[in-house]
Amino acid sequence: MADLVFVAGLSHAPGLTGWLDQAPPREQKALTDGFNQLGELLRASEPDLIIGLANDHLLNMPLHDLHDFCVGTAGKWNGPAEWFRDWVNVAPYNVPGAPETAHIMFEEVAKRNFDVTSKSELLFDDNWSVPLKYLTPEYDIPLLPIHMNCVVPPVPDPEHCYAFGKAVREIIENKLPANLRVAFMGTGGLSHDPGGPKYFDVNEEFDRWFLDLLAEGDPDKVIRECTMDKMIAAGDGGTSELIAWIAAMGTVEHREAKIVCYEPAVELRCGMGCVYWDMETEAVDV
Amino acid sequence: MGVADTKRDLAANKMIYDVRRDASLYQNFTENFESIMEDYGLSEAERQAFRDRDIKRLSELGVHPYFLPQISRLFHGGTYNHNKSVAAQAYGESMVKTKGNPH
Repeated sequence: MADLVFVAGLSHAPGLTGWLDQAPPREQKALTDGFNQLGELLRASEPDLIIGLANDHLLNMPLHDLHDFCVGTAGKWNGPAEWFRDWVNVAPYNVPGAPETAHIMFEEVAKRNFDVTSKSELLFDDNWSVPLKYLTPEYDIPLLPIHMNCVVPPVPDPEHCYAFGKAVREIIENKLPANLRVAFMGTGGLSHDPGGPKYFDVNEEFDRWFLDLLAEGDPDKVIRECTMDKMIAAGDGGTSELIAWIAAMGTVEHREAKIVCYEPAVELRCGMGCVYWDMETEAVDV
Repeated sequence: MGVADTKRDLAANKMIYDVRRDASLYQNFTENFESIMEDYGLSEAERQAFRDRDIKRLSELGVHPYFLPQISRLFHGGTYNHNKSVAAQAYGESMVKTKGNPH
């Protein structure tokens, strides 16, 4: 039985690497310190593998062949995809994959009746390029990427994503090799609206409400209150990426999220922040 | 217009999906987009919106919102894409300029 040793939720918007200098200095420092701190926490948990879950951004699953989830099965990944390289401003990188584990994950998720496909080739944009730059700057921890559909309705709703996270946890514990140390991260959000009417806006009130909700550690309340409609109202084209965080919450049982940082980064066109769940403490029985 | 208004079978959506993935399509897009539109069978309304760089009109035609700033970046470049960058400004101006324009 493998161990889930670290779980995080974090933003991946490209301004964090592409034009952070446009943000006020205090905000730049808070975000840089916060994301670096999350990286230190992740690496201190000594994971052998990171399972990531993030929006596909309509880059690998075309509109006529969408699935809720897509497991990446390559032995090696590289990024950023060329057209996104200047935009995200991350130097080309290679990161090891985890093909055997990915195939197990794909087959086990499919058995549990999730709408899942797998691909041995995936283009990476900001979804992994921004998180990896902060979390694993040496690109030395293997990544098992799972892309998801967050932005073409119908998307998997919070309840379904929570169930997905619970299934991933169960697969890690029952199907992956013994003693494998696994970290899980859901990336995306917070409030933003790429290409929509709120493209230049951030909804700080929603973001702080969402983070405080996660910090309460009550997943039933999160699923009940953080509806798709509420996320869409806070930014139609991007805020629903937070379903990846809700899946992350599904992997942790009843634990309170620890908020590392948050900034309503208008210059980055995205509410930016990150949280983690301390897997060393015992989950609360409910 | 929002993500729910996306027309999944719109030729422009198929085209932009492929363009960002294929260097032979995104390199020199500004010079080549007329022939690319021909290859993908865009409607005349879609083609005129691209010629006019009319992002708002593309939105009305059912292009996915996520593609709209990317279309601006295809024309204007994506480097250092802050709010005052040419690509972000062009997106913003197009969305405002054509607001309420019935075409």
